[in-house]
Amino acid sequence: MKSRLYLPILAMFLIASGCTESGPPGEEPQGTQDSGPQALEPLSIFTTNYPLAYFAERIGGEQVEVSFPAPADVDPAYWAPEAEVIADYQQADLILLNGAGYEKWLERASLPASKLVDTSAAVASSYVPLDEGVVHTHGPAGEHSHKGWAFTTWLNPMMAIAQAQAIQEALSKVRPEAAADFRVAYEGLQADLLALDAQLRDVAADFGGRPILFSHPVYQYLDEHLGLNGESVHWEPGEMPTEKMWNELSTLLQSHPAEFMVWEGEPLEEVENRLAEMGLTSVIYDPCGNAPESGDFGSVMLQNHDNLKMAVDADSGDAN
Amino acid sequence: MKDTLYLAWRYLAHHRIKTAILVGSLTLITFLPVGLNVIVGQSARELTARAEATPLLIGAKGSPLELALNSLYFESDTPELTTYSEAVRIEESGLAKPIPLYVRFQSRESPIVGTTLEYFDFRGLEIASGRRMAVLGECVLGSRVAASMGVGPGDTVISSPESVFDLAGVYPLKMQVVGVLEPSYTADDGAIFVDLKTTWVIQGLVHGHQDMDAPEAAAGVLKREGDTITANASVVQYNEITPDNVDSFHFHGGMSGYPISAIIAVPHDQKSGTILMGRYEADDEVSQIVQPATVMNELLGTILTIREFVVAALLLVAIATLATAALVFLLSLRLRRREIDTMSKIGGSRLSIGTLLASEIVAVLVAGVLLAGLLTLLTVQFGEELIRALLLG
Amino acid sequence: MMEWIDYTFFLRPYAPTPLRLPMISISDLRFRYSQGGFALHVPQLEVESGERVAIIGPSGSGKTTLLNLVAGIRSPQSGRVITNQMDLSELADSSRRDFRIRNIGLVFQEFELLEYLNVLDNILLPYRINGSLELNKKVRQRAAELAEMMGIGDKVSRNVRRLSQGEKQRVAVCRALLAEPPLLLAVEPTGNLDPTNKDKVLDILVEYADSKGSTLVTVTHDHDLLSRFQRIIDFKQFYDLDPKPEAAPSKAP
Repeated sequence: MKSRLYLPILAMFLIASGCTESGPPGEEPQGTQDSGPQALEPLSIFTTNYPLAYFAERIGGEQVEVSFPAPADVDPAYWAPEAEVIADYQQADLILLNGAGYEKWLERASLPASKLVDTSAAVASSYVPLDEGVVHTHGPAGEHSHKGWAFTTWLNPMMAIAQAQAIQEALSKVRPEAAADFRVAYEGLQADLLALDAQLRDVAADFGGRPILFSHPVYQYLDEHLGLNGESVHWEPGEMPTEKMWNELSTLLQSHPAEFMVWEGEPLEEVENRLAEMGLTSVIYDPCGNAPESGDFGSVMLQNHDNLKMAVDADSGDAN
Repeated sequence: MKDTLYLAWRYLAHHRIKTAILVGSLTLITFLPVGLNVIVGQSARELTARAEATPLLIGAKGSPLELALNSLYFESDTPELTTYSEAVRIEESGLAKPIPLYVRFQSRESPIVGTTLEYFDFRGLEIASGRRMAVLGECVLGSRVAASMGVGPGDTVISSPESVFDLAGVYPLKMQVVGVLEPSYTADDGAIFVDLKTTWVIQGLVHGHQDMDAPEAAAGVLKREGDTITANASVVQYNEITPDNVDSFHFHGGMSGYPISAIIAVPHDQKSGTILMGRYEADDEVSQIVQPATVMNELLGTILTIREFVVAALLLVAIATLATAALVFLLSLRLRRREIDTMSKIGGSRLSIGTLLASEIVAVLVAGVLLAGLLTLLTVQFGEELIRALLLG
Repeated sequence: MMEWIDYTFFLRPYAPTPLRLPMISISDLRFRYSQGGFALHVPQLEVESGERVAIIGPSGSGKTTLLNLVAGIRSPQSGRVITNQMDLSELADSSRRDFRIRNIGLVFQEFELLEYLNVLDNILLPYRINGSLELNKKVRQRAAELAEMMGIGDKVSRNVRRLSQGEKQRVAVCRALLAEPPLLLAVEPTGNLDPTNKDKVLDILVEYADSKGSTLVTVTHDHDLLSRFQRIIDFKQFYDLDPKPEAAPSKAP
């Protein structure tokens, strides 16, 4: 009886001692670890679009592991994660949301409220309302609206700064040990965005209040922030518009004599040519909702600025 | 001694029916007060433990007991409803973390608990298999529900209509089981957990339907005034949320006006809790804040008083039973008069004969007490199950 | 209170002595029940070792009482009863019981079997109700042999309620003989039996008494059986129909 009792105790002792001995040499057990932020596990950060992922990586640096699980070929604004992906989101330390109704799937998902960070909540008063959509009535709940807000907030560098700041604050709250590092990194990002903002303002100043066309209604924040005189149509970069759409464009140009049409991506060549015949120059301004094939958010935005500036400069050159 | 006990055993075995009745009644009369005490004690501990683990409850003004029973044990009727805005109000106060609860609907006999994922962390509920709910229409089952329904991840459960005549309101919703919880030996084992929003789907407040602008929905459109489309009842109401239709479920306006039954408020610290309680003291306040421990202690006070009466009654019964047993033994002695005489005449020692007669009584008493002890042990061991079956089931 | 009594002689296994001492020796015995009824006076009575004696007399004349006195179940108010060299009235109750269980085999008219025991357990009963007898293998073997001898060897595990009257009395006799007592006291042992069983049971008792040299004293009403006994004591002579607190000197036999 005694010996039978003794065996498991011995075994437990051996296992216990084995555990401490088999740990990596020189590494303290986790419980006693308190040697500064470098030693901590990176925070798991999930985002719902690429700009937020970029901001989080810039601010969090080594302290974060950022996941943005949308496939590369979709617009995250029209993407809804599958249940399994949402389960991954649930495991995150922080879930960064764009806000302004960007994550339409959010209201159908179960996510821990304490981990959700609506990065644009602080600037919600600057949301641009959508002037389309329907309101319908049925059942006891009465009238309800599907109208909402424009959501590509980050195209306004000042909104982007506000969102970056929200990320910095959220990270500092979860990991106060690294708050100083986050602050420094944030200030670097802020400086970049402010520089971009200054450049964009310069282009906008050159541009004056001349009418401009957007191929898709995603540029509301840019439009409003820079004081552009823009109107939107619903054209897809990779598609040939129907004749009806061409006719509508002609009608629109009569009241809104734009010289530039801003595209999310490269339009079809024949579309670009036909637009040129109508006196419209195509300019690419990538909203960068998903990760770019090359470069990053910063380089894409600079390229956008360059594209815009080149078009405006060329136009000014023509006029001269 | 051995020989005497052998004779006693033969005697008891021969009169086994009489012995069984005696042992049985002694067992019961010993066990009932002891077992009752154990069960009441355990259930009191269980009830109190859960109440004490729930710092504050907020709900619409009404019966605090109903609020506590509904929110802690998913028992009793649904209390007066409050709205989600109350949870927002607590969150915005910065004093406590709100965990909203909407305990109103059922699937068969099991309560459907609409809440947020924080509830699992708050109660320390671990997933035994599968995962937590991720999208609308998914549910996670308490261990007992899963066992009794015989379902697990991949199966479905259907919410029960509140009433057969409730035509406008609650449609049965087929919910996907995505996870089963580890047993916690609390009311959580008997609940079906869904996202708060899923309970609103069950209630018909959040619904999926065809796109009113789409041509195939034209038949369902009653009138169209500008942007407002009025739909008739032919618009398809889904009773199951699938990956294909999940995107059609939408909230009408913000969530703040949607109903919930209670909010568990977890104060960030003691001071915050006190401040939060103070905020609900105003006369025109439509909500109430209760400390479940206080409410449950009041209830338990009542239960304990009742228990004292029951135990007193049982003691009287015990005395009556013991008197009857004594009578039975006396009668048995009279019946054995001749046997005793014979043994005396043959030369049986007084000690042996006395032992033989006493061992009948002792054996019956010991057997009764032992059995009662065994029952008590079983009660201690399986009391949790028993309590849930009796009180919470 | 300590009693300085030498028990050893009756704890010794019984062995018939060549010197024939009286098994029962009664002198000037007086007994009456406290409730009254009758008074018993036996001036003198001796029964030799190995003797077979029948006691006859009218009902209620005290025959059974006499046997109870001889067995030490009752104690006389005065006079002496010496049973197997032992004055039982000088012994404490527990010693008398120990004496009885070793020295006296009792057979009753109503058999007095324990109905919750089977045949074997009934036979073994004396060894289970007095610590001075040790129930061992030898005893069990003897019990089995006795049962075999009595023709109930195939019924040892049967409950006694399922036996015939004759079989029951045979079980009772086995019980009385198991401790191999030097004195057998039987009260109407055949009173409830049919003629065949009567003879059978009496045969057994007589045969046993002869083979072991035991003394057999039987109270009986049955005059057909008297031929089996060496001596017949008519109890009328001891029966005092007019009992007085101080009984008159007995009449001559």
